[in-house]
Amino acid sequence: MDDVVINAPVLTKPGDAWEPKSQPKRRPRRLRSPGYVWLIPALALSVGLIYYSVGYTGYMSTLEWDGVSPVSRPVGAQNYVDAFQDPIFWKAIRNTVVFFVFSFAVQTALGILFAAIMHSKVKLAVLYKVVIFLPVVLAPSIMAPVFRQIFSANGQVNQFLEAIGLGFFAHPWLADQATALPILMVITIWHNTGLTFILYFAAMGQIEPEVMEAARIDGAGNFRALWSIVLPGVQGTTVAIFILSIIGALKTFDIPYLVTLGGPNYATEFLGTLIYRESIPLANAGYGAAISIILLVLALGLSMIVNIRSQRKEQ
Amino acid sequence: MQSARFRGAQRSIAAVAITGMAVAALAGCTGSGGAGGGGGGEGGSATSGTVDWWGWTPEQAVAEEYITAFNEEYPDIKVNFRQLTIDGYEAALRPALASNTGPDLFDIAPGAQFVQFGPNGTDLTEQVTEALGDDWEDQLAPIGVAGLTDEDGALRGIPVGSTFAGPVWINQQIFDEQGLTPPTTVDEWVSVCDKLEAADIGCFVQGASQVAFDQDTIQAIADTINPGLFTKATRGEAEWTDPDLVEAFTTWQRLFDEGIMQEGALGVQQYPDANNAFMAQDYAMVMMGTWYMQFTRPNNMTLAIEAAGVGGAEPFNMTPIPFPAATAEGTPGAMFGDANYGLVVNAKADARNAATTFAVWLGTSEKGQQIVANALNDIPSLTSVQPDWDSIELVNPEVQRPKLEELYERAATVTDNRLLPNSDLADAIGNAATTLAAGDVTPEEATETLQSAAEAAGVTFK
Repeated sequence: MDDVVINAPVLTKPGDAWEPKSQPKRRPRRLRSPGYVWLIPALALSVGLIYYSVGYTGYMSTLEWDGVSPVSRPVGAQNYVDAFQDPIFWKAIRNTVVFFVFSFAVQTALGILFAAIMHSKVKLAVLYKVVIFLPVVLAPSIMAPVFRQIFSANGQVNQFLEAIGLGFFAHPWLADQATALPILMVITIWHNTGLTFILYFAAMGQIEPEVMEAARIDGAGNFRALWSIVLPGVQGTTVAIFILSIIGALKTFDIPYLVTLGGPNYATEFLGTLIYRESIPLANAGYGAAISIILLVLALGLSMIVNIRSQRKEQ
Repeated sequence: MQSARFRGAQRSIAAVAITGMAVAALAGCTGSGGAGGGGGGEGGSATSGTVDWWGWTPEQAVAEEYITAFNEEYPDIKVNFRQLTIDGYEAALRPALASNTGPDLFDIAPGAQFVQFGPNGTDLTEQVTEALGDDWEDQLAPIGVAGLTDEDGALRGIPVGSTFAGPVWINQQIFDEQGLTPPTTVDEWVSVCDKLEAADIGCFVQGASQVAFDQDTIQAIADTINPGLFTKATRGEAEWTDPDLVEAFTTWQRLFDEGIMQEGALGVQQYPDANNAFMAQDYAMVMMGTWYMQFTRPNNMTLAIEAAGVGGAEPFNMTPIPFPAATAEGTPGAMFGDANYGLVVNAKADARNAATTFAVWLGTSEKGQQIVANALNDIPSLTSVQPDWDSIELVNPEVQRPKLEELYERAATVTDNRLLPNSDLADAIGNAATTLAAGDVTPEEATETLQSAAEAAGVTFK
């Protein structure tokens, strides 16, 4: 029985999170082997399904291949060279950056605003929470035809503008290269703000009431309390949303594909839609795989940079 | 204690072994991609078994009609039809064929899809010869056979029926109510649209964001100026900068500039948006091919109107008209097309022989082809079979039947293809269409860019 003793970690002071006060000198041997065994299913799943797929995609990216033929031709890094020389690839990158900056900024601002309002004891708060969160659970495939109708030349947006005397603004919003991308950002913000709101709402609940109370006693107004107490208090959530938004922007596919098919004239092309178009309708599976690997590298690289900077800031 | 440790080690080794086998199996599943992997042995019985059939067409109810009739002759072959969306079809089929989990039988369209997926099918020449005799090629529509035969002369898909683009469908009721005559030239078309607009009725609707349909319209325009020139350009027998093709692209741009095309067409998809708008009678005209004949049947039209979100659906009288000529001297009404789909027997399938039995029956038997003809979705491959007009219910038989019979006659003379084998070229034509529609380029610039893109896509110009 002596070899099954487990020592729970004991916290000493706040800075020593999860540092065990005392450890046995040598872990019992019988605990080790079965412990590793329990890791194997997860390891097999991640190696078999994720890392193998990533590796295979990397291999595909060195081929000129249609994705189904038994014949393929190794081309080395040529697909990557083609991607960097492809103006549509750069247009997709530009769209992704613009899309990320605006959608992240607006979603974050709205999320914080709604969360702060909901923490201020408004009436019917539960109803508002449901209304704000509802778009998150609506599938883009269901909403896409609705948005195509709403923003069409004869759609409800233009009808509304005409009804309030702003008919000169009426516009085929999704058919115009200048407005198609902003409309997709509006749709995405509408779709994602509920999630941002919930995350901030939960994070704000973790701020000690005493700290807020002290700030109030010191004469801090709403804006000052939000700026100096709430925002620093939810910084971890902001970093997490920032990383998720970067990855989300890089992976954007469903809304542009379903609403605009990446058009008009590539005005709403993203890496996701470009990968699909190249890999499936155009049957350039090798080229599509190369863009997928570039997307993966960008997502990992940017996430690591944000994480490292965030950790340094905390230190 | 020793024994417990031994059992623990045994369990660990077993778990590692199982996991290793699982990973190897996963790797094996994916890694065997390509047509060369796997195989279906001898292909099973030709008169019994289960056949899994994938396709984007026909509709599920029509497929059931085919299968029921087939089972009267072959009761021991169970056919399971899985209808996939046309947009997601290639995305589903590509990995399925690359692995060993693909269907026994699948639809294939001529053109780029045949080039990509045709090599995954068996050669069906021998089976079709057995069914129809040595003169089988004379009995099937040539345009259907040509598009499903590979460069070695192997028939990789059995054409079930053909579809043709080129006509414009009009809401005859709206035209009659407004006292309008269908346009025969683009100038007349502009005039018709002005009158419909004055009556607060949409004129013509097209989902220009789905560029395959833009290609149909441009080809139809070009064929009214110089019949067959568009097809020659796709084959490298004429240059895209030919003055007649420049004029065709100029006319395409004119559709947008002069109010024929609805405002915001570039943000609209042909399916479902334009189709729904026509079915909801918001617009009086739409460019669709012979596949739209199915909606002259009241039941089909009622369902389509309901699917467009209209309550209390009442079928209306719609008829095909030839595409209006770009110029007064032009020839209206050219048509172009291919087999709508062919049935391909997956070379790796276990039930190859049963799948072949079904494909041959549907594509070559009079009974199977009569059902195809009467559905009015496809024009049957077997040229001896015509729709049994007397038994087909139409919304307005007096007006529609002569028009449909005329469409059938015109379709029989078509020699130009609709679907291109080169997907990069189709993409380039789509780019030319949308940049012109947006007013970003002139027709001369668009055709010069298209010429360069066609050369880059591997088209050799003579």
